[in-house]
Amino acid sequence: MSISRRVFVKSGGLALFSLGLDPLFLARAAFGSYRPLPSSTALYRPVLVCLFQRGAVDGLNMVVPHGESLYYRERPRIAVPASEVVDLDGHFGLHPQLAALKPLWDNKSLGVIHAVGSPDSTRSHFDAQDYMESGTPGVKSTADGWLNRYCRHDREHDDTPFRAVAFGPQLPRILAGSAPSLAIDDLQAFGLRAPEGAARDRLTRAFEQLYAGSATGLLSSSSQEAFEAVQLLRQANPAQYRPANDAEYPRGRLGRSLQQIAQLIKGNLGLQVAFADVTGWDTHVNQGGSEGQLAARLAELGQGLAAFARDLGDRLRDVVVLTMSEFGRTIRENGNIGTDHGHATAMLVMGGPVNGGRVLGRWPGLDPASRFEGRDLAVTTDFRDLFGEILARHLGATDLSAVFPGFTPDPTRFPGVIRG
Amino acid sequence: MQNHLLARLLTLAAAVASLGARHAAPRQSPPRQLPALTPHDSALHALDRLAYGPRPGEVDAVAAGGVMNWIDGQLSPDQLDDRLVAERATAFLILRYDPRDLARLYAAARNERREGRQGGKDEEMGRRLAGEVEQLAVVRAALSRRQLYEVMVDFWANHFNVFFGKGADRVLAPSYIEETLRPRAFGKFADLLIATARSPAMLFYLDNWESVAPGSAPPAVTRPRLGARPWFGRGRYVPGFSREPAQADSQRQRVLERMPKGINENYARELLELHTLGVDGGYTQQDVIEVARIFTGWSIKRPQQGGGFEFHDWAHDDGEKTVLGVRFPAGHGMDEGVRLLKLLASLPATMHHVSRKLCQRLVNDEPPDGCVDDAVAAWKRSSGDMREVVRAIVHGPDFWAPQNIRAKVKTPLEFVVSAVRAVGGDPDTTPRLAQVVARLGQPLYRHVAPDGYPEREEAWVNSGALLDRMNVAVALAAGRLPGVTVALEAVAPATADAEQLIAAVNDGVLGGAMSDNTRRVIRDELAAAPDPVAARALAVGLTLGGPEFQRQ
Repeated sequence: MSISRRVFVKSGGLALFSLGLDPLFLARAAFGSYRPLPSSTALYRPVLVCLFQRGAVDGLNMVVPHGESLYYRERPRIAVPASEVVDLDGHFGLHPQLAALKPLWDNKSLGVIHAVGSPDSTRSHFDAQDYMESGTPGVKSTADGWLNRYCRHDREHDDTPFRAVAFGPQLPRILAGSAPSLAIDDLQAFGLRAPEGAARDRLTRAFEQLYAGSATGLLSSSSQEAFEAVQLLRQANPAQYRPANDAEYPRGRLGRSLQQIAQLIKGNLGLQVAFADVTGWDTHVNQGGSEGQLAARLAELGQGLAAFARDLGDRLRDVVVLTMSEFGRTIRENGNIGTDHGHATAMLVMGGPVNGGRVLGRWPGLDPASRFEGRDLAVTTDFRDLFGEILARHLGATDLSAVFPGFTPDPTRFPGVIRG
Repeated sequence: MQNHLLARLLTLAAAVASLGARHAAPRQSPPRQLPALTPHDSALHALDRLAYGPRPGEVDAVAAGGVMNWIDGQLSPDQLDDRLVAERATAFLILRYDPRDLARLYAAARNERREGRQGGKDEEMGRRLAGEVEQLAVVRAALSRRQLYEVMVDFWANHFNVFFGKGADRVLAPSYIEETLRPRAFGKFADLLIATARSPAMLFYLDNWESVAPGSAPPAVTRPRLGARPWFGRGRYVPGFSREPAQADSQRQRVLERMPKGINENYARELLELHTLGVDGGYTQQDVIEVARIFTGWSIKRPQQGGGFEFHDWAHDDGEKTVLGVRFPAGHGMDEGVRLLKLLASLPATMHHVSRKLCQRLVNDEPPDGCVDDAVAAWKRSSGDMREVVRAIVHGPDFWAPQNIRAKVKTPLEFVVSAVRAVGGDPDTTPRLAQVVARLGQPLYRHVAPDGYPEREEAWVNSGALLDRMNVAVALAAGRLPGVTVALEAVAPATADAEQLIAAVNDGVLGGAMSDNTRRVIRDELAAAPDPVAARALAVGLTLGGPEFQRQ
């Protein structure tokens, strides 16, 4: 049975209101309240981690087509020399600052999709990010994000407060919508804040009693979830967390987010979908080649992903990490030794279930005749086919048309990132 | 159906009888004796919905003066003395900057960054001004005596949403609030619609500024404009010509390649779906295209030149158009758009759609049909005068109906501002209080999608958000929320008498709506807090963060 909360409101809302019952509260109750997950390894739920490279990453310098002379001709000052790339398959290579990921490529848990992007032609960051998060390219009025729609339509799993978590101060568009999701800026600060432990516990208990005894409707069920989450997290004790296997996360927001995602996964708190932003990719000026601005951002990304994989150890078996970015950048470098807004880009997919060790997607080449609007790398994989494959074949989504309205997902178009 | 009508009439009778309204109700009804809101409760309800909650003592003051008198005053905001806010506003530098100044400032800040000078004075000022835009809205909501007017401004800022983080909208946004929305918040809907359609902020946000008839090109790009300044940002359309003639040719070629090549339907679609008819308003995709054709050429000047509205005759589609079966003969240029906007503003679907949203804001997340009908009737009578539409809603029986009292959960903006007001708080001009609203999930003017922030409780109530609200409540009551000074002595005396304290907090913060459970929990907590000042802060913090205060 699939009941969306919205449908529930429409069909039964008025009658229930007159009884003083909140329909949403009932809708949540209908899906069962939280039960601790069994700790048997056989029942670990699959996890998807999405990293959004905001600002449009230069896919051609992240995964370099070093086998094409046109790449070097178009980028005399910013190309990564063939001698410095981390070769993957003779044609493509990783940027040298992503070298930390090479072992993951070698053991087949890292794959690359190249020439992926949006069917919409916009080169506006705002519009393109909006479309990639709403999952409806060209349609601005979509109110919710595709990750939230996935959570709403796939109700097989029990909801836990930590099912869908975005790391950052606000819930991003991709998780906006009616399925419960959390924005957590800092796991250690989650919950009530008080100078010392005893005062915090007392304050937490007081609020818990206030809501348990006086709240109605959605306020009641959400507060119950909140205090369960606080309790669960207390048991997991994030302040004491030490990464496993000597994993060293890079300093900064990305490293912190990835470490906290690993904590939630290893704490068995029911995390299924995690999201974090990685900024600083809008490299119009002095982008650099093997070193420089973009290289520094890639180094942080590579070290972060490598540390995450190392920290998770065996648990990487259930996890897929996907990078995404709103579009790619111009094939030709610009007058400021940078690149401008382009079209297709590259995305990285990492994890146990990944069909790794290969560059997937049809490579359109850099030849001017095959470029998009005569200048940019053409999109040969619609991002919805990539996202859809991961939802269907990794998370087990059954109804992709509800997640990507107006799009007919077709398994024959799946790029093949998840092992069969 | 008859029962529904009867119930509404009875409630209306009760409302009229209990409020002692001087103003004629919109409909006659037989007087009946029914349990109804006390003057105190109706004052609290009005302050919860038509204002950002009561300040200390305000419920009693409004009840004593008659709630309908207070509402009447709120409907004529110009008559209300608002010197306090006017004085406070002088500290906001953003009000002294026009788009041209802002464009210059942001360009200078960008140059600073490019030259590796982080944190230079222009960047500093740019950041300060950006924060002031949001903070000004919070300060006005917290301090203005024209409360209903501020509620309406916020309503329109969401109905005609513009995301201020999009490129040039950083520069265009302040004038959108100050010059487009605020002067028309209680005006005719058609005027507001035309003003937003012409506003540079909206033209940029929904891309209409680059919507051109296919095949058209500006006279300017047929010859090099040496030394022209680069356009704001780095979007598609960047005619930044080099000063060096050698490069000019290829750059001109690039600009021509990047020139908008046809119509952009974004504004046209949102105009029909969100601003006027509503998604079920009976228009087709062909109507959207025809509307987009009508608005070709509605564009803007560069921000460095003031960023004002500019009609580009060369970009306008000169053909005949038909929208919703109405013919727009060829060759009327910009007038076609104005005629279309007036048409849309007068259509029943628009009246219904906008009235429904107003009822959703003021009455219930699921607005009662009767409320919407009253609003639409007033719209027709007054030719779309928003003051009269709001008047009809608050004079209607649904506004006062028991099932709509405390039926709405506060948005983060409403929660933060009502909490600040409840403790006699005074926010300063730094953006810190606006940042609290943002942290709770509602960064003002930063809703990305064109539909504006939602009014439905499920958009705001979730576990993380509730914990955040509790933290804000405790910090505010303890005087630890940066950027606000609080006056708890206006709420309750610092007393060792727990019962007296609880009674004062119940009265001052919740208008007497405290549940027995809340009373009991607070009493238990006070037993462990011997210091009277800390006890008062604790009682107020628990109350502000508790379930009753989340509702309005």
